[in-house]
Amino acid sequence: MIICLALSTPITSLLVILLMAGIVIFAGRIPALFYLKLMFLPMFFLVAGVLTVAFSFSPKDTYLFLWGFKLGGYTLGVTATSLATAQALFLKSLGAVSCLYFLSLTTPMVEILAVLKKLKLPSLFIELMTLVYRFIFVMLETADKILISQSSRWGYATVKTSYFSLGQLGANLFTKSYHHSQMLFTTLLARCYQGNLNVLERSYPLSRKNLAIFVAVELLLLALGLWFKA
Amino acid sequence: MKSEPIPFILEAKEISFSYADNTRALDRISVSIPRGKKTAFIGPNGAGKTTLFLHFNGILKPNQGSICYEGQEVHYSHASLLNLRKNVGIVFQDPETQLFSASVQQEISFGPVNLGLPKEKIRERVNQAMAETGITGLKDKPTHFLSYGQKKRVAIADILAMQPKVLICDEPTAWLDVKYAAQIMELFDLINRTGVTIIFSTHDIDLAYSWADYIFLMKNGKIIGEGLPERIFYNRPLLAETELERPWLIDIYEELNRKGWVASNVPPRTRQELIGHIREKMS
Repeated sequence: MIICLALSTPITSLLVILLMAGIVIFAGRIPALFYLKLMFLPMFFLVAGVLTVAFSFSPKDTYLFLWGFKLGGYTLGVTATSLATAQALFLKSLGAVSCLYFLSLTTPMVEILAVLKKLKLPSLFIELMTLVYRFIFVMLETADKILISQSSRWGYATVKTSYFSLGQLGANLFTKSYHHSQMLFTTLLARCYQGNLNVLERSYPLSRKNLAIFVAVELLLLALGLWFKA
Repeated sequence: MKSEPIPFILEAKEISFSYADNTRALDRISVSIPRGKKTAFIGPNGAGKTTLFLHFNGILKPNQGSICYEGQEVHYSHASLLNLRKNVGIVFQDPETQLFSASVQQEISFGPVNLGLPKEKIRERVNQAMAETGITGLKDKPTHFLSYGQKKRVAIADILAMQPKVLICDEPTAWLDVKYAAQIMELFDLINRTGVTIIFSTHDIDLAYSWADYIFLMKNGKIIGEGLPERIFYNRPLLAETELERPWLIDIYEELNRKGWVASNVPPRTRQELIGHIREKMS
């Protein structure tokens, strides 16, 4: 990911995207269609963002533009450099996103947290992450339950009741979450909680083979990127 | 010279407790929990069972009266609280509020880690607790992927891994299907046989009658009756006061006894015992 971000050669980004997609779909066994749908999400944002980069806006000078039209005394259009920047930016961002997807689709949260702990991140940060991660699911579940109970009583029958129900849902979710956190604190206390959420970390054997593959791939990407840049 | 251990592992002496909104949850309650036995607390919702349990674990401090563990009064200092919580474990009614960690194994390790045990010991205890509750296969699963019954098991394993002397379980069979409920009660039997004192609350009088060694009846923050199950459930006025039904076993047994269709004069405690009595008479 860092290589993808640091080297602005489109070819590196493209390679990273393909590599990640390959690993996720074939080794990670994520359905290709699902992955494609996931990739489309950031793609929309990217297209919108990149379009504004691709178009430049300048007074007079029209000969630099590949294509453009006049608007008053100004020209709005696409230049060769802006197009190149846009293309590089698009691929670079997509490459970075694909790396993030790779991480979130293949690595369970527990392992990410374990790595962060190994990197000596402050325990407060890690504990917060643990709790946030757990509570995302608790809140989703609670919201889902409230939603079902509301709709089963015609809570979303008309626009007016929908607004009201949604407001109630939001407010209730907050108080329920607060209550839940209080209960959690009690249950933690009951288990000798002393201010630190310490748990047993799993031990991961260092795989030399995996490490070697990892280094080789990164070096290859780096070399390719530098070569194309030169 | 080593003295005999006192017969009561946990005692509440004249404790009263009111919540912040002035609802009186406990009203001068005195309770003695027999060591190594299975004790049940029965009472309607809001009787104060959970509040009492929270006192046993030192989460709540009584406004009046005192709690004694192993004959020693709990002083609510940091050390004495930790000692109490190490020895008295609570499994809460809703496992959802108890689970916080991302994986089952980490979740269970929380208690033992807090006890400051060495790593190997923690791993051993976690594995043992998972084996006892039959969740070894769920080891690395995220807790939010579990079913309710599985979450309940993890919640129990959470406490088992701390190897408490007293295991308190608030409504162990609530919301569980018949199969899971039976498995959980079997598990408690197993734990009890290793010498752990078990306390649980329930609305299920049939369960309490068959299963408990000693019973407390609670209502409106008071203890209104206590005794052996066969005593408690034959005391009609007491049952009427608590608005409790009699266990079906006793009703059927009395009816059969009146007709002279059962052999023994000892009231049966389980379905199997009752059937045994009838068969004995028939043959």
